[in-house]
Amino acid sequence: MIWEALKLSLLVVSFATVIICVVGLLFAYLLAKFDFRGKEFLDALLTMPLVLPPTVTGYYLIFLLGRRGLLGSFLYDLTGWSVVFTWQGAVIAAVVMALPLMIKASRASIESVNPDYEIASYTLGKSKLETFLRITLPLAKRGVLAGLILSFARALGEFGATLMIAGNIPGKTQTMPLAIYEAVASGDDRRAQVLALVLTAISLIAVYLTNRISRSQIYG
Amino acid sequence: MLDVNVKKRLGGDLPKGFLLDISFAVDGGITVLAGASGAGKTTTLRLIAGILTPDEGIIKVGDETYFDSGQNVDLSIQKRQVGFVFQDYALFPHLTAEQNIAYGIKAKSKTARAEKAMEMLALFHIEHIRTRIPREMSGGEQQRVAVARALASDPAVLLLDEPLSAVDVETRSKLLDEIEAAQAQTGIPFVYVTHNEAEAVRLGKQRITLEKGRVVKT
Repeated sequence: MIWEALKLSLLVVSFATVIICVVGLLFAYLLAKFDFRGKEFLDALLTMPLVLPPTVTGYYLIFLLGRRGLLGSFLYDLTGWSVVFTWQGAVIAAVVMALPLMIKASRASIESVNPDYEIASYTLGKSKLETFLRITLPLAKRGVLAGLILSFARALGEFGATLMIAGNIPGKTQTMPLAIYEAVASGDDRRAQVLALVLTAISLIAVYLTNRISRSQIYG
Repeated sequence: MLDVNVKKRLGGDLPKGFLLDISFAVDGGITVLAGASGAGKTTTLRLIAGILTPDEGIIKVGDETYFDSGQNVDLSIQKRQVGFVFQDYALFPHLTAEQNIAYGIKAKSKTARAEKAMEMLALFHIEHIRTRIPREMSGGEQQRVAVARALASDPAVLLLDEPLSAVDVETRSKLLDEIEAAQAQTGIPFVYVTHNEAEAVRLGKQRITLEKGRVVKT
């Protein structure tokens, strides 16, 4: 039971972290490097999950991705499959909830890279993508890594939105935070204790690492 | 070799904005672009390199047109064969001297790239700092790496934006010798921006003076 929840949590969080890394960097780069209409609105929209009650975010996800949802109905008509009550749904919930942390940290550190380095790379014939991968990203890596680890921890602790879209099905969508809730609700104190301690330990290590990375000096 | 005839309005910075309206031609050798700060020297270099876009005009290097507002030609920075030495060098802080220099070398094979990098290190007598990153180098060493990096990509023209403003007077004279030697050895035309009269006199067989966005003397 404990093992099952831990395994599922790690599966969900692994997928979520990879998606957050790619999508978060894309949005961070877009927001840091381009000026376009509605840019700050987009930033505000992406930040919403940070301040809204997770149940509200979860509600919107159902509204979008549910079987009769705006996008979900297309998917359901096409494939007969819906993300609601699946572990993939839990991944989506974790991504949406944790993404703002990645975007905020990465955007700030990408913006802090002296643009002359990038221009120098362009004058040396390198494309924007190559410049981003070889110059910008290595120079922004502290903030990017910190954002990624925080997102990982946030995804691991995700509860409300996950419950809304993926439900609480043991062995299928019951991640650790949900298992803790159920353990407490059913009076299984020992299980709740073990799960809570494991979750705390992982999160503590993550935040500790984030702080270490943020404080480390690179390239003076 | 290099033909520039461009206009660019820069708003905001000065009262009522600032109009850069310049026209000059450069042949081989070192050409000094002199003038007080705010005269438009750095902007001129940035227009040539494609970092900034002129409002109108023509920029040509050799037979190649980099910019022509009449023909709608505007080559990207990457496609212009322009080497650029920044005032603060803009060396990649996470790469060693050798990696900085090798970064823009266009040769396909790894050995050819390594050879070219060694050649540039030797040209500027900086083999001994090959494995150092910029913060472990002196100002003069950083300056040498910056010029070597820009030349290593085989540009058609090299633009230097006040490259010696951050080094002390003693080192300056030595570096000027090296820049002249590097120009002679590579045969690439240099356009050298400075507001320092002594430097301008020292280097300037060919000299263009800017004042308030216009060429006043060539």
